[in-house]
Amino acid sequence: MSDKPERFIDDEGLRLDGRRVDEIRPMKVEMGVLSRADGSCYLEWGNNKVLAAVYGPRELHPRRMQKPNEVLVRYKYNMASFSVEDRIRPGPSRRSTEISKVSGEAFEPVVMTQYYPGAVIDVFAEVLQADAGTRTAAINAATLALADAGIPMKGLVSACAVGKVDGQLVLDLNKPEDNYGQADLPVAMTQDGEITLLQMDGHLTPEELEEGLEMVKKGCQQILEIQREVLVSRYGNEDEEGEEAEEESPEEVPDSEEEEEERDDSFDNEESEAENADENDVTEEDEGEEDERQ
Amino acid sequence: MSGSEVISRLKRDYIYNLMLKGEREDGRQFDELRDIALETGIIDKAEGSAMVQYGDTQVMVGVKMQIGTPFPDSPAEGVIITSMELNPIASPDFEAGPPREKAIEMARIVDRGIRESGAIDINKLCITEGEEVWMVFIDVHVLNNSGNILDAASLGAIAALMTTTVPSEREGKGEDYPLPVREMPVGISLVKIGDEMLLDPTYGEESVCETRITISSNQDGSICSMQKSGSGSLSPAQVVKASKIAKEKGEIIREKYLLEI
Amino acid sequence: MKRKIVYPGQVLSENEKQAGTGTYVHEGKVYSLFYGVANDKNRVTVVPFSGKYIPSPRDYVIGYVIEVTSSNWIFDIGSPYDGLLHVSEYPKRVDSSMMRKEIGIGDCAILRIKDVNTSMKVELSMKDRGLRRLDEGRIIDVSTTKVPRIIGHNGSMVSMLKKESNCDIFIGQNGRIWLKGKDEDMNRLTQAIEIIENKSHTSGLTNHISAFLRYEESDEIEEKEKPVPFTSSKKDYTEDACRKVDVLLSDEDEN
Repeated sequence: MSDKPERFIDDEGLRLDGRRVDEIRPMKVEMGVLSRADGSCYLEWGNNKVLAAVYGPRELHPRRMQKPNEVLVRYKYNMASFSVEDRIRPGPSRRSTEISKVSGEAFEPVVMTQYYPGAVIDVFAEVLQADAGTRTAAINAATLALADAGIPMKGLVSACAVGKVDGQLVLDLNKPEDNYGQADLPVAMTQDGEITLLQMDGHLTPEELEEGLEMVKKGCQQILEIQREVLVSRYGNEDEEGEEAEEESPEEVPDSEEEEEERDDSFDNEESEAENADENDVTEEDEGEEDERQ
Repeated sequence: MSGSEVISRLKRDYIYNLMLKGEREDGRQFDELRDIALETGIIDKAEGSAMVQYGDTQVMVGVKMQIGTPFPDSPAEGVIITSMELNPIASPDFEAGPPREKAIEMARIVDRGIRESGAIDINKLCITEGEEVWMVFIDVHVLNNSGNILDAASLGAIAALMTTTVPSEREGKGEDYPLPVREMPVGISLVKIGDEMLLDPTYGEESVCETRITISSNQDGSICSMQKSGSGSLSPAQVVKASKIAKEKGEIIREKYLLEI
Repeated sequence: MKRKIVYPGQVLSENEKQAGTGTYVHEGKVYSLFYGVANDKNRVTVVPFSGKYIPSPRDYVIGYVIEVTSSNWIFDIGSPYDGLLHVSEYPKRVDSSMMRKEIGIGDCAILRIKDVNTSMKVELSMKDRGLRRLDEGRIIDVSTTKVPRIIGHNGSMVSMLKKESNCDIFIGQNGRIWLKGKDEDMNRLTQAIEIIENKSHTSGLTNHISAFLRYEESDEIEEKEKPVPFTSSKKDYTEDACRKVDVLLSDEDEN
């Protein structure tokens, strides 16, 4: 891999790894792999292997970092020292610090930050094996880890890169394309196609940029579809489950009625009348809160 | 032993009282290991790698090799460097930043097991005496701390080494060859509760017990490294007992997992 | 739509009037905020699969002391926000120097949330009936989103648990459950609660659990699977998903 290939795309329009120009590498995803984390996801994309975990929302120290009216999303991208050809020193580098910053910002537009004022949501993205496109792979895993942790979001974030080799735009660069290509443009997008992360290096004409953004949007849509598939199929077939559980479904909904009952039951004995009077207030309040949350 | 985190008294009492009755929270015997899983060769970019699970505990170990200069006092010997990071991904108690004493201690315990057993023939890692030798970097990456990451790291380290290929070709030093590994040390940790010792402690058990002993043993049953850790004390009889358990369990792990590689 | 698994950003309804908890409205449509189960009765609501407890006034919670100051006990209540129990909210007068004697670090208690201000300062009280320090028994943790299921409709589940297990139970809204009874009864009850947590989406659960506690069903909790490293997982969504994607995208193009 150390030598630059003569051509990146053959006469049939196929790339070195056999993909078409607008095709992404195979992706494999598994959620909930770490027991200590609040949410986690392991993702393989081509030869990339990344692991994302979410802790929180949790208390933020030191206090001066707290945002009074919203939650802080803190993202740490880290590469395992054995994840690349030449061992890298453990600990943050200037590169990983920058990636951490822009990746965290990629989630700010979708995370409902007003829900947990003053707290922090920590996202840790570990690159276990790197093979071009680790930051986008990490973002794709982190989205699912956030969903797994029960973090309220307006939608998922999907990320993919577009680049240029042999003067031609290609989706989701592989290692040689990344190393010797003429441009690399990693992008993260919401489901509405809003760009939440964008970096670029190399050389693109304005026309290529426009076309590249169109291409990367399609890439992100493909990834979004994979993410949806993983989420929905995780607990088995949705339809069956829906039907089966239907009869008892009211019990799932945490409405205020049930909360009252628990109070009754928990405290058995004494003065249940006074308690009941009390609880009616609770009911109203709870519903008030429900409305606010909409 | 888990640090400064407060744990609720009822939870503590629960684990403690169970142990006084000879029971454990996950139903194991005192000298019973959790289910172990080991997979090697998972990171192609590393010269050797292993993923180890002890119950819910998950540790990944990668081995990288580079050419470097030998230490002046051992000009014909390769160099082994073991690092361990307690990454915040693995536990809510782990903080980002350079390794602190706990991580450094654990890295050194893993390192001693490998080094003192003579698992790697460091004389065979010399390229040009006094000038060029192979440096073996063993990097332990803790992914999920559900207790006893130390033993998982030890097993991961030797398993990763056993699957390591010396990348001579890449460095223009002839043909690749398997790293010469001639011993299979296995590290076994126990924690003390009253007069009893618990094998392979869970996270909860570690937080209740103040003293740990880790013993690495070789194929012939000899001991190659030990470490007492934590604020409590151990009697000589306990140390002897622990060494017997370590030998017996080390043999089981070696046969079941390492000899398979 | 009846009940189904949904993901953040999924469109749940075209009618914004149907927006319930766990959803948001954007340009007239209702979307899910969470990864969880959507329920469609009068309004569409989404209950997330997991999540942290967010304190709300009047909730009953179980906490343990992590710090004692000159006038407050600071409790961990299993939330991003710690709770403050001011000495004046303790059922009896306590001198500042005696606070640690009364409730020390690590001690557990049933508390009620008195107030939560806008900056999420959580004030606790121990003055109500039933609020007390917990010196015996056991505390188990469940996901706070599963609490309603463990309580059951009109408290049906918790009453049954109590009756069949011969244990005292208190369920905190924060997902901490306190049990007291004979050891073997508590063990069985712990297993029963685990089943409820894992099978919360299945029907006939109350009867199933009741039978379990009476030892009528030999349905022990499923044996724990042997660990398999996630790096070796054989799950591969790619090809299938990609094919579906292709279809989807081409549909879109046609539109």
